[in-house]
Amino acid sequence: MTRDRALRSVVLATPLVWAVAFMFVPYLIIFTYSFWLKQYPTFVPAFQFGNYLQLLVDPQYYQVLLRTAKIAILVALSALAIAYPFAYYLVFKVTSARLRLTLYMAVIAPLWVSYLLRAYIWKTILGSEGVINSFLVWIGILDTPTDIFLYNQFSMVVTLTYIFIPFMVMPIYTALEKIPRNLIEASKDLGVGPFGTLFKVIWPLSLPGVFAGMTFAFCLTFGDFVAPFLVGGPDGVMVANVITSQYGAALNWPLGSALAIVMLIIVLGIIELSDRFERSGRINLA
Amino acid sequence: MTFNNLYRSTTAMALALSCVATPALAEGEVNILTWEGYADQSFVAQFEQESGCKVTATYVGSNDDFAPKLAAGGGVYDLITPSIDTTKTMIAAGFVEPIDTSKITEWNNIYEKFRTAEGINHDGEVYGVPYAWGAIAFMYRVDKFPEAPTSIADLWDEKVKGKVSLWDDKSAIYVAARLNGDNDIYNLNDEQIERAKQKLIEQKPLVRKYWATAGELVDLYAAGEVWISNTWAGYQSSLIMEKGIEVKEFIPKENAEGWMDSWMVVKDTPNLDCAYKFLNMQSDQAGQCGVANVNGYSAANPVAAKKCMTPEQYDALHQDDPDYLNSLLLWENLEARLEAYTNAWNAVKSAN
Repeated sequence: MTRDRALRSVVLATPLVWAVAFMFVPYLIIFTYSFWLKQYPTFVPAFQFGNYLQLLVDPQYYQVLLRTAKIAILVALSALAIAYPFAYYLVFKVTSARLRLTLYMAVIAPLWVSYLLRAYIWKTILGSEGVINSFLVWIGILDTPTDIFLYNQFSMVVTLTYIFIPFMVMPIYTALEKIPRNLIEASKDLGVGPFGTLFKVIWPLSLPGVFAGMTFAFCLTFGDFVAPFLVGGPDGVMVANVITSQYGAALNWPLGSALAIVMLIIVLGIIELSDRFERSGRINLA
Repeated sequence: MTFNNLYRSTTAMALALSCVATPALAEGEVNILTWEGYADQSFVAQFEQESGCKVTATYVGSNDDFAPKLAAGGGVYDLITPSIDTTKTMIAAGFVEPIDTSKITEWNNIYEKFRTAEGINHDGEVYGVPYAWGAIAFMYRVDKFPEAPTSIADLWDEKVKGKVSLWDDKSAIYVAARLNGDNDIYNLNDEQIERAKQKLIEQKPLVRKYWATAGELVDLYAAGEVWISNTWAGYQSSLIMEKGIEVKEFIPKENAEGWMDSWMVVKDTPNLDCAYKFLNMQSDQAGQCGVANVNGYSAANPVAAKKCMTPEQYDALHQDDPDYLNSLLLWENLEARLEAYTNAWNAVKSAN
C-alpha cells in the first residue's frame, strides 16, 4: 500500500517539479534581474525601477512593441483567413476519410521540418533573383526584378503565417468536427441558406477553436526572433530581437529582463483574454 | 516489476551513465571559445598529435557572445579570442588571468603596437597574446559601379537604393559618425551619437538588410540583393569571388576601423600546460600562417609570417606596411559608454 502511495505521489509530483524547475524558477530569476543595475563591466544586484522607467521614457521600446503586435495581429488574421476555409472544406466537403486524413497530414507534416529551414526557403522564393521574380520577369509582367517581396514586414508576415498555419488548422478542425450534424440539418430544414447556416450556426460554434488558433499564432509570433533575422529588413526588428541584443551586445541583462517581463505580461494578458472570450462564447450542446 | 526491481535497475543505469560521463584520460586537453577558422583542422591536427593535447573548439558569432558564456559559469573554456574592443571587459569582469609572456617564445616578434595595446595591458600585467588583425573595409560589386566608390557617402546615395548593407553592430555608429565628420569615433558625446543615429535612420530606405553573420553577407551578394557594404577585410570578399561574383574592397577616404584578436587565458583553468603549448603554436608559423590561409586575415607576428608566407601573400596582407596598420582606427573598449552606442543602434533599428 505505502509503495503504491509513494508511486502515486511521484507521478503527481513530477509535473509540479517540472513546472517549478523549468517555469517558476527561471521566471523568478528574470524578475529579480529586472531590478538590478547595469554597471560597467557587467551589472550589480539592486532594487530599483530604472529599467522599467527606461522602457517608458525611450520611445524605441514602445515603437518596437507596437510593431511586434501589428505583425502578430496580421499573422493571426492571415492564418485564420487561410486555415478556416481549409478546415471547413476538410470537415464538411471532403467525403472520403482517407483523403481528409491525407490533406490534414499535409498541413501538419511541415511541423516535422526544421523551423529554420522552412523560413530559409522563403528567401529563395521571395528574393530578387527568387522564384516569383524570375517567373514575373519571364512572363513579361516585370522588366527587372523587384525587391518588394523580401526583407520587409510583408515577407515576415508571409513566412510566419506559413509557419504557424498548422497551429491554426488543428484547433479549428477539432472545433468544426465536434459540431453535431443535426444542428446543421435543422438549420437547413428551417429554411436557412448555406451562408446563413455558416454565419449563424457553424461560425459561432467554432469560435473556441478560432480563439485558440488566434492565440497560438499571435503569441508565437510575438516571441519570434528568427523571422526578423532571416527575412526581415531594416524595419523588421521585433521585441525578442531587442531582448537578445540587451543580453548580448549591450551586456545589459537587467534591461533585457525588464523587457522580457513586460512581454510576458502582455502574452499572459492575451491568453487570459482569449480564455474569457472562449468561455463566454461556449454554448452548451448537451 | 516490483518497486525493488525498479530501484535496482535505476541504480544500475545511473552507475552505467556515470561511467560514460567520466572524461577519457587523454594526456591533456584545451577547450577554446573562438571564431571559426581559428582552430582549423589544417593546423590544429598536427598540434594535437605532437603535444598530446586534445583541442575542443566552440565557435562564437560575435564578440558579444564571450561575456554571456563566461558569466553563465566557468570551468568550460580554457582559452578565448575576443577582439580588442572586448578584451578590457573580460579583464575588468575578472574572467581572465594574466599571461606569463616569458613562456611565449615568439612574444617579442609580435607587432609592438599590439603587444602594448591598452586593451590587453592592465596594472603592469599582460592579459592577451595578439593573434590576427584586419580592417573593417568596404566592398562593392565591380559590375554595378562604373566609377569606383571612394567614400562612406556612397552608401548614402539614392542611386544604390535597396542595394546597401551594413553590419548589424554598434560599428554602424562608427561609420555614420565618420561620415558626419566626427572622427574620434570611440569617444563620441551624446550629441554626436544622436547625429550618427539620425544619419543612419536617414539611410534606412536605401538599406536592403543589415548583415548579422559573415555567411549572411556572402549570401546577400550571391543572391544579387546587395551591391555595396562594409566587410571583414579579406574574409567575405574571397568567399564571394569563389561564387563567381567580382567584388572589390576599398578603404574609404573617411578611413576604416581596425580590429585585432588576442588569445586570453580563462581564470583558474586546470589545463594551463596545454593552454601554453597551444598559445606557442598559434603565435608561431603554424598558427600565424594557418589563420592567414584559412580566414584571409593578417598575422600579428610578422617575423613568423614572413617565414611561411609567399612574398605576394605577405604583401597583400599588409604585413610590411606599418603606415596601413597605423592608419586604421584600432577598436577600443567603450566601457560605460557601450550602453549609449548600443541603445542608439537599437533605436535606429526600431525606428519606423
